[in-house]
Amino acid sequence: MNTLANSSANNQGTSLAIKRLLLRGLMMLLLLVCPLTWGQTQNISGTLGAVGSDTMAGLMLRWGETLTTHYPNVTLQFQAGGSASAPSALMAGTTRLGPMSRPMTAAERDNFIERYGYPPLELKVARDALIVVVHRHNPLRVLTRQQVDAIFSTSLACGAEAPIRRWNQLPATRDWAFGTIALHGRNLASGTHGLFQARALCGGHFRNDISEHPGSSAVVAAVGESANAMGYAGYNHLTPAVHAVSLYNDNGIATPPDEAAIQSGDYPLSRYLYLYVNLPPGEALPPAEQALLALIMSPEGQQIARAAGFVPLAPEVLKEQQIWQTPIN
Amino acid sequence: MIPPRLTTPRQPLRLLKDRVATGLITAGGIGVLLAILAIGIFLVWETLPLLAIGDTLALAKLSPLAWGTLKAALAALLFAIPIALGAAIYSALFMSARLRTRIKPTLEMMEAIPGVVVGFIAGLILAPWVERHLASALALIIWLPLSAGLAGLAWQLTKARLRRRLPLSWAGLWLVPWLALMVALALWITPWIEQQWLGGDLRQLLDQRFGMDYATRNAMIVGIAMGFAVIPSIYSLAEDALSDVPTTLIEGAQALGASRWQALWRVALTAAGPGIFSAVMIGAGRAVGETMIVLMASGNTALFSASPFEGMRSMAAAIAIELPEAAPGGLTYHLLILAALVLFIFTFLVNTLAEVVRQRLRRRYRHMGGTS
Amino acid sequence: MNDRSASASSRRLHFDWLNSLWPWLCAASVALSLLMLGALLTLLVVRGLGHFWPANLEQVTLNSGETFAGQTVREVALPQQEGDERLYFTGNQDIDGARWRWVAIEEIAERSHPVDLIRLERTPWGDFIGRLAAIEQADQRWEGEAAWRHLTTLLALPINQRPDSQLLLSTANGQTLRLPLTNVLSAQAPNAMAWWQKTHAWGEGVWRFLSEGPRAANTGGGVWPAIFGTVLMVILMSVMVTPFGVLAAIYLNEIAHQGRLTRFVRIGVRNLAGVPSIVYGVFGLGVFVYGIGGSIDEWFFSDTLPSPTFGTGGLLWASLTLALLTLPVVIVATEEGLARIPEAQREGAVALGATRLEMLTRIVLPMAAPAMLTGVILAIARAAGEVAPLMLVGVAKLAPQMPVDGEFPYLHLERKFMHLGYHLFDTAFHGEDVQAAIPLVYATALLLVLIVLVLNLTAIFLRHYLRRQRGSEC
Repeated sequence: MNTLANSSANNQGTSLAIKRLLLRGLMMLLLLVCPLTWGQTQNISGTLGAVGSDTMAGLMLRWGETLTTHYPNVTLQFQAGGSASAPSALMAGTTRLGPMSRPMTAAERDNFIERYGYPPLELKVARDALIVVVHRHNPLRVLTRQQVDAIFSTSLACGAEAPIRRWNQLPATRDWAFGTIALHGRNLASGTHGLFQARALCGGHFRNDISEHPGSSAVVAAVGESANAMGYAGYNHLTPAVHAVSLYNDNGIATPPDEAAIQSGDYPLSRYLYLYVNLPPGEALPPAEQALLALIMSPEGQQIARAAGFVPLAPEVLKEQQIWQTPIN
Repeated sequence: MIPPRLTTPRQPLRLLKDRVATGLITAGGIGVLLAILAIGIFLVWETLPLLAIGDTLALAKLSPLAWGTLKAALAALLFAIPIALGAAIYSALFMSARLRTRIKPTLEMMEAIPGVVVGFIAGLILAPWVERHLASALALIIWLPLSAGLAGLAWQLTKARLRRRLPLSWAGLWLVPWLALMVALALWITPWIEQQWLGGDLRQLLDQRFGMDYATRNAMIVGIAMGFAVIPSIYSLAEDALSDVPTTLIEGAQALGASRWQALWRVALTAAGPGIFSAVMIGAGRAVGETMIVLMASGNTALFSASPFEGMRSMAAAIAIELPEAAPGGLTYHLLILAALVLFIFTFLVNTLAEVVRQRLRRRYRHMGGTS
Repeated sequence: MNDRSASASSRRLHFDWLNSLWPWLCAASVALSLLMLGALLTLLVVRGLGHFWPANLEQVTLNSGETFAGQTVREVALPQQEGDERLYFTGNQDIDGARWRWVAIEEIAERSHPVDLIRLERTPWGDFIGRLAAIEQADQRWEGEAAWRHLTTLLALPINQRPDSQLLLSTANGQTLRLPLTNVLSAQAPNAMAWWQKTHAWGEGVWRFLSEGPRAANTGGGVWPAIFGTVLMVILMSVMVTPFGVLAAIYLNEIAHQGRLTRFVRIGVRNLAGVPSIVYGVFGLGVFVYGIGGSIDEWFFSDTLPSPTFGTGGLLWASLTLALLTLPVVIVATEEGLARIPEAQREGAVALGATRLEMLTRIVLPMAAPAMLTGVILAIARAAGEVAPLMLVGVAKLAPQMPVDGEFPYLHLERKFMHLGYHLFDTAFHGEDVQAAIPLVYATALLLVLIVLVLNLTAIFLRHYLRRQRGSEC
């Protein structure tokens, strides 16, 4: 029920109305319940539905809250199910807004084009990074790319020689922690899982003894509780209970995951957060969607992104995104 | 069944009404039953495409999940069966009748505590605590039964007057503070023992001596949490079975010279055996299908490992996290539906078995001339 | 001879001695179950209700000379070394970059509880802990005590009547910031409060938790939409499940031929109560959402596609799924009630000339009504606590639009809704910060357990009362 489009009163409209009347009568008989239960599509009830990344859940909800304070009749419903749920929901038509913490894969995009005949509109909305975290008292400060791969994967696709299973295989923690490294990560459907696999494991395979949590905050909480744990999570979930390890980037410089390094992309696991919109070419966005996009690209929206723990877009990227904006009447 | 004549003109209307109503009820009843049947049909129908694909590799993906499900259920039963059956034996055969009318509904109330609450406590509170205090947690498992025995011994040695004050028939209640005290004692003393004899850290010892890993969320945690959820259903059914055993049987055995315990062990337990079996089966069915507790407390690692200190992933939990993201018609979608079908068939069979055994048992008691 | 009997009796004695311990182990099982149940409930009550108590704020000076203010949360042992460390909630995320601080107890030089420390709830940066230096409103200015008094009077006004003013705040280590009043939600100076003021604040906190919607991506605020969603879903479910459950029970017990087939059907229905709830969720997703919902959209709402109306999880599908899930509970309970009615009652009615319909409506159903009621209450109790199937058929992380509103047709069956149990899972695992969410999760868990327990207790007492009342008849 989230469209605001004023469908013209043509033949199709009236036949639909009759059909709906029939359905309404049918349901009344069937359920013996209360009056019928959905509004006319013409009503300007601005509910925006979004399905997708739970990395972005907090961000979307905050944007939604602010949107409601600006336009009291516009609300945002968000269902978090991991980034992989966004393309399937866009495809199945269960939503028009698909926030994703990674770009769509070629296959996902092709499927979308096959179904609708046009590509989805892709917008960058904030900057984020994946961080490798250890317990706050762990002396480990820096990891090389090969070490990360050797710890989390079985495939060693980044060029490490042997898998690292125990803390004493890392020089920094030789005398500190004992036993095997307890690994924590995200579940299969999340974009965090996919991105870490592609970027940190060089496309290899994860070990199968990684605890898979349904959310990044659960990963951080688990690592913060356990001295010999290591995990990967979204930057916005970083708390003082854990320590985020610096990683070597392609220039061979150990870079800590801080705001500047993430915004500039110096930190190797930084990424954009995307919002995919199902928008047929040549059509204007419904006003509620437009209002949301305008808010996101405004300084206020980017400040909200910071408060939610992400990094705002660099000004030049924001400018690029403005192409898609049309002023709201 | 021919109704006598009353007011003649309204007769046909009444009969018509009656016939229509009967027809409607029949249609409704059969409709509801068909809707229930539809669950099975839907699951089978959606699994059929898998046969067409015939991908054995895909099936191999399910096997760690099946193992995880079984491991979680076994852990839960290991924890729940001794406690639930012990409680059932005690409350059916030893407990005072007045206490029983209070305790039984209380324990059955445990079943009502939502799985999501138990899972939260287990996953976010209990698991980190046990990880920090592993030695104390393990010590409790050994110490609690011992301390119960200790209470028994102490009771036998005390004066008769005190014994009358704290009778065995009320022990289920007055042992609560005693056990709480014993728990506190164990928590206080174990760190010291760990320091003295286990080299300071049990986990280090486990790792160095036996090469055992310890995951924060593991089979032991799941066992305790899910055991907690399963105890009431096993307890309630087993208690019913035991208290349905005709008292004449036990009295007869005692008249023939058996001690009270022998009469119970040899006669009551044997007679109620099938009922207890069906109680355990129903508990197993519940443990296999429980979703939220496993999802929140198991760590969701798809491992083939028998270690009680490592995690697992169960089919129900996998369905709950992965299905909303699986595109309808895709391989994952069908696989997860297959998992649902397996769960459905398994629980249905287990429950049917339990129900048949229970009905047969009831008939046998009636045969024995029991009062129930 | 003597020897043998002596050894036998000693063995017997030994045997008895061991045997006499068994009942104690059994008794301990009951005690242990009670202990676990009690511990769980106590934990929920203490932590769930304790969260709303205005905790004292502590000003901490470290050995290094650094100062900060915060609320103590918990203590854990330091790993690999002696001593403990303490977690403080320090707020001020915009200034410090974090809301928490772990401090080793050894490093703490001094702790105090200054009365002028205040705690502000604000958006979008979360709590502020520090001191109020002044309030500026147009060209007026209040400082010190007067500023605090003025702030409390301002916050007592409704939001739209608050004048445009600026708060000048300073943190414990001397940093200052300006904050517009519009960003402040509430203010507290817990160290200056007497116990009765705290009790009042506690009551207010509980009330706000129950009556407000969630804020700041579910890390703050209340659970009112979740309570409302749960209750509405359960009501819809019972409206659906009661007639069908009763119908099926009447059919099975009164109309169907009592043969082998009926017995099998009865066992089957009974067993469905044991089928995992997630399986019902899978059925609901596949049949209701994708199947029926998709078709409804294609037929009646084709103008709004690709935005789905019924082809996505929603209130209607969730209640239908749970109705199916609880159907066996109602059928079994009603059947038990029907079976307990003496055959003589039915025969008497028929002998007096009643048709089957009249016999059912005038004699059988009124007598079985209590059993039906018990069944429905048990069904409600089960449905209120179920989460797994809802994750598949229509529960939402945050649904600011209530399923009932002033817009025609008032009840929106296609909307997503919030549910207490899912809200609990979501805040505990998907939220931004688990540590911050845990107190709210405790409170939500307590609320959920209370609702379910009260429903169950009602069912138990109802059954007990009715059994006693008609004990002589049956």
